[in-house]
Amino acid sequence: MLKHIIAGASIVALTLGLAASVSAADAPVYGVLMKTLSNPFWGAMEQGVRQGAKNAGVEYFLQAVESDQAAEPQLNTCNTMLERKPAVMITAAINSTILLPCLKHANEMKIPVVDLDGNLDPEITKKAGVDVAFHIGSDNEAAGAKGADYLAETVGKDAKGPVLVIEGLSGNITGQKRARGFAAELKKVAPGLAIVASLPGDWDSLKAANITNDTLQRNPDLVAIFCANDDMALGAVEAARAAGKDKLTVIGVDGNSNAVKSIVAGRLNASVAQLPYLVGMQAVENAKKVLAGEKVPEFTYVPTLVLTKAVLEEKKEPMLQYVK
Amino acid sequence: MSAIPSSAAQAQSWRERLAGVAGFRIESLFVLAALAATMAILSPYFLSVSNFLNIVLATSVIGVLAIGMTFVISSAGIDLSVGSMLALSGVAGCILTAQFNLPWPVGIVACIGAGALAGLANGFFITKGAIPPFIVTLGMLGVARGLALVLTNGLPIYGLPAPIVFLGQGRPLGVPTPVIVLLLTALAAHVLLVHTRFGLYAQVIGDSEVAARAMGVRVERHKVMLYALSGALAGLAGLLFAARVNAGDPTAGTSYELTAITATIIGGTNLFGGRGSVVGTVIGALIMGVLQNGLNLLAVPSFYQQMAIGAVLVLAVWLDRISSAEGRRQ
Repeated sequence: MLKHIIAGASIVALTLGLAASVSAADAPVYGVLMKTLSNPFWGAMEQGVRQGAKNAGVEYFLQAVESDQAAEPQLNTCNTMLERKPAVMITAAINSTILLPCLKHANEMKIPVVDLDGNLDPEITKKAGVDVAFHIGSDNEAAGAKGADYLAETVGKDAKGPVLVIEGLSGNITGQKRARGFAAELKKVAPGLAIVASLPGDWDSLKAANITNDTLQRNPDLVAIFCANDDMALGAVEAARAAGKDKLTVIGVDGNSNAVKSIVAGRLNASVAQLPYLVGMQAVENAKKVLAGEKVPEFTYVPTLVLTKAVLEEKKEPMLQYVK
Repeated sequence: MSAIPSSAAQAQSWRERLAGVAGFRIESLFVLAALAATMAILSPYFLSVSNFLNIVLATSVIGVLAIGMTFVISSAGIDLSVGSMLALSGVAGCILTAQFNLPWPVGIVACIGAGALAGLANGFFITKGAIPPFIVTLGMLGVARGLALVLTNGLPIYGLPAPIVFLGQGRPLGVPTPVIVLLLTALAAHVLLVHTRFGLYAQVIGDSEVAARAMGVRVERHKVMLYALSGALAGLAGLLFAARVNAGDPTAGTSYELTAITATIIGGTNLFGGRGSVVGTVIGALIMGVLQNGLNLLAVPSFYQQMAIGAVLVLAVWLDRISSAEGRRQ
């Protein structure tokens, strides 16, 4: 009996504790729904949202789900957020369809919807009858293309040899766009460099390390590795170093803090920074404009910046302030 | 021992003699050989010493996890929290060395210790609380992952002391250090499972807890030790993971528990307890490593890779079951 009481009491205490930690705010606030916070990219986006809210002088509450694959939980979270009647819903959908029922409901509640990080497909939202106030994010294909441009500059336009591409999670649109953009641009700027394999690293640094080792078995003369994000690039560069391939050019995408450390330490060659901080900040600032009845562009692509050792050490690039 | 089916115990065939020594069924070795032969035919880059070392290197983290899993499953338990304990351990070691600048041996102890502590907690709730291991370790899967994320604020911690990086990236005598760690771990675990009371009791508990109690085995205490061992090995795997990529990643090892369980089952450990084999588990992990390596060497696109891996897993266990059934009929 005592055991039952203790167990029951601890469940109640735990629930109350969790409820207390989510402070109830009755004033109209902005709702921000992210994919996850367990990733430097989304961490920087969150910092940007915070700064944007500060700049605009607005309150917000932010929620995220446990991983960027938890699609259904994200829909449930979205629906729950609407219960608090936010002034605007800024959402980074896990895929292009999962949040549509919730966003449609938001429309009905006259809550403007913002597509954070450009995960919604305008064609699909139109078909579903969801009205999106504006889309803001990074152009992932352009980010991949910048990686190819950097590679051509580094090894020369006439360079020849095999190149490895490590993709993101199978079926993930962001990773696909980055890899596609890289491949298309590489064909144009350095046709002598051939992509010998494009393999799924599932955003996992250890998998990227294993893929690097596997490909080095087949192509010991590998010239470069392009990874669809920085975590995988860090795994790839460590594996390449361990295999004694110090001259291999390894390029990542995101510009996260660990990539910056690795680049400064002379390991990772470059990372195409996507400036999620800037995306988060502008999203909140533009949302305020929408609520005030001002016009904002339907699509905003935040520029990217190629981080290299030289760029990071010279510290002259004004965009560097947005690299978090 | 229970590795040998009693109906076939009269005449000791070569099959059984091998099984008696290593505690595994020879059939899983056939599957590995067949898979390797297929890959060797399909890719000219497969058969080489460096690719062989490369495969074992890629198998090292999963291999160490699966060895711990072998003990737990042998005792009719399950440990779903190994992937999360791996992340928590790696993060713990990285925080102490990279952020607090403590000496590297502290990092190694912290990795293995954090895993062992989480495993002890598993064992405590399973025995004292009489909660099924599936539930307790599923809970730990969430708690350990969450703790790793809280400790790091969700961001990987980059940059480890050189001696720890050597543990992941070094090549003494041309052999990658994680390969050596895996082989030493497997050797020690094999001796522990086959040649000591600790291992024998684990399998007896898996066979029948009532019988184990009748034999005088302290079942509860033994189970706590088994889960602590699994946790400690998850910690070692976390150390290898962090050392290989030079970072403590709170999202490391997501869903690795399923891969570890799969390797264990392919290796011939009974999912319902009573029989286990460390050698078999290492072979099971290698089967998956060879498959992944081959698919990468052949540059198979991602959607087809998933299909191939799923299909080969079922086939591997099926072939193994067919041939072992024939072995019994002889």
